[in-house]
Amino acid sequence: MQITFKFQREGTRAKPVYSEYEMDVDPETSVFDALVGVRETQDGSLAFRGNCSVGFCGDCTLSVNGAQKATCLETVGKTQKDGVIAVQPIRYAPVEKDVMHDVRKFLWDKVNVFARGVVPNGHGPVADEELRPVRKAMRCTTCGLCDEGCTVIDVNLNFHGPAALTKLYRFAFDPRDGVTAERLREGSEVNGIWDCVHCWEATEHCPFGLEPTHLIMETRDRAVAHGVKSGYGNKSAQRHYDSFEQSVEKSGWLDERAVALASYGGLVRGGIRMLPAGLRALRKGKASLKPHHKRPGAREIRKIFERYHRSTEALRKEKQA
Amino acid sequence: MTRFAFYPGCVSKGFCPELYESFVRVAAEFGMELEELEDVGCSGAGVLPAELSDPINARTLAKAEAMGLPLLTICSTCQGVIGGSALRLSDPAHRERVNREHLAEEGLEYAGTTDVKHFLWAMVEDVGLDVVRGKVKRPLAGLGFSPFYGCYLRRPIDVIQRPERKTYLEQVTEALGGTNVDIAGKGKCCGFPTLTINEENSLAMTAKHTGEAVDKGADAMVVPCPLCHLEMDGEQRDAAKAAGRKIDLPILHVPQVVGLALGMDPKELGLSRHLVSTKKFVAQLQPVGAGA
Ligand code: SF4
Repeated sequence: MQITFKFQREGTRAKPVYSEYEMDVDPETSVFDALVGVRETQDGSLAFRGNCSVGFCGDCTLSVNGAQKATCLETVGKTQKDGVIAVQPIRYAPVEKDVMHDVRKFLWDKVNVFARGVVPNGHGPVADEELRPVRKAMRCTTCGLCDEGCTVIDVNLNFHGPAALTKLYRFAFDPRDGVTAERLREGSEVNGIWDCVHCWEATEHCPFGLEPTHLIMETRDRAVAHGVKSGYGNKSAQRHYDSFEQSVEKSGWLDERAVALASYGGLVRGGIRMLPAGLRALRKGKASLKPHHKRPGAREIRKIFERYHRSTEALRKEKQA
Repeated sequence: MTRFAFYPGCVSKGFCPELYESFVRVAAEFGMELEELEDVGCSGAGVLPAELSDPINARTLAKAEAMGLPLLTICSTCQGVIGGSALRLSDPAHRERVNREHLAEEGLEYAGTTDVKHFLWAMVEDVGLDVVRGKVKRPLAGLGFSPFYGCYLRRPIDVIQRPERKTYLEQVTEALGGTNVDIAGKGKCCGFPTLTINEENSLAMTAKHTGEAVDKGADAMVVPCPLCHLEMDGEQRDAAKAAGRKIDLPILHVPQVVGLALGMDPKELGLSRHLVSTKKFVAQLQPVGAGA
């Protein structure tokens, strides 16, 4: 079929300036192979990334007709709209040339933070069942599509992002690894697991069904179970998670005022931060000064916490032994 | 089925009393019977680990189950987190463990049958948009609403179960006679979960969504989650300041928008309690009975 290939070479995402090329191509050809074809036959100066071309390496991710794709996994026939395939760089990465993004800044610098290999702990053969979650995370091709959909990277490129945190999961859940708590502490620093807003975008965006958001949430739970305080290395996260937990443990539900104050750093700092909006809220009848009370059933909820504390304590002792 | 075990959540009983009050009024108008659950815990809001929130939510689900009623939420976060627990608890082995370790002592057991529904879903699926349309006394014609789902009413798909639920906000606006103003981030995070953790990120998210809605001509934004409301109403002034621009976009809870179209008084629906003024918006409303 006859296709017009458009490459963004200048301009912005909203106002792109394209170079256009016509080419006759089999609809079953992958978009990536077609782009290579255009470069080989028509314009050798076109710059874009790509490597394995079989969905293994994640290098060829691009924005195609407005949607982000691993281009080697998509066919021309299915992707084209009215005979056009328009490629732009992915959204959140700095561009080096044409549609080639700075993959180091976008992905590799972050993935490498968590890429240290397994440090053997002397564990014998591992049951298949036990390794299954890790194997799932190992299937990550670092295509970056989860980072592309990420709500936090949208406003802050320094957030490690779901792709790098999937790498963290891969090692932090490996039963053969001897430095799990250390890894979980590294992952808990600023821009790590506690900066995730669990919007589930990453899970929706992963073309391989690896559910990266779920993996981040499991990693958080594992960090806490391993005695790494919620938000370790990120004091405000720690205050937020601790005070939230204490509030529900004490009264069965959330004491918003107390949690907000504690999260902002206690009575004085929190008070100052919250005062202007707090006063407006009081005046408008949105907030009240009524004291927080216990829910009926608070005792039962508290028992759930006690049992949880006992089981994580037991796990910690077992790890230390 | 128009009877529900009603789970109001912490925030509608805390910093968003106008959500609770407007919802109760609107539900009565639709003939929804509510049995409010008192003896239940906080869902965990994605903050508590699943090891804690699953048993707490199993307890809530078991209570609704014992009443033979679906669980009704008015908060997307409660919906998503309890829905997530319910999905994990559909695994018999996990459910059996939670029952044995946590619920048995109280004489409770969860059999895995409770349906969890957000009010937005119940309005479309149980009340029906034709009924809603038939009750409109003050069509919202001429007003632009930016639907903002946030995270939990869009994803993950196995928790929200039906893909068409991702379009309910728009369908409701249209049924009420209003116009939808679409923004790119309507299914993204509002910024609330990270407000006290990474304020800069949080305010940037709020400024982005509300700013885009204003630039596209929205008169108000509609949210199904009180946490989105706390963020985008309560923090909008700071977000606008951080972004170096003017925003001033009223943020309305779903039952408030419905209540307005049903002819209820803006004050009764709590519109005067918001931190971003709704005065200009209210002044644009037609009188009750006009065009209906
Ligand atoms: S987790 Fe999925 S979407 Fe993210 S980089 Fe890996 S393969 Fe791509």
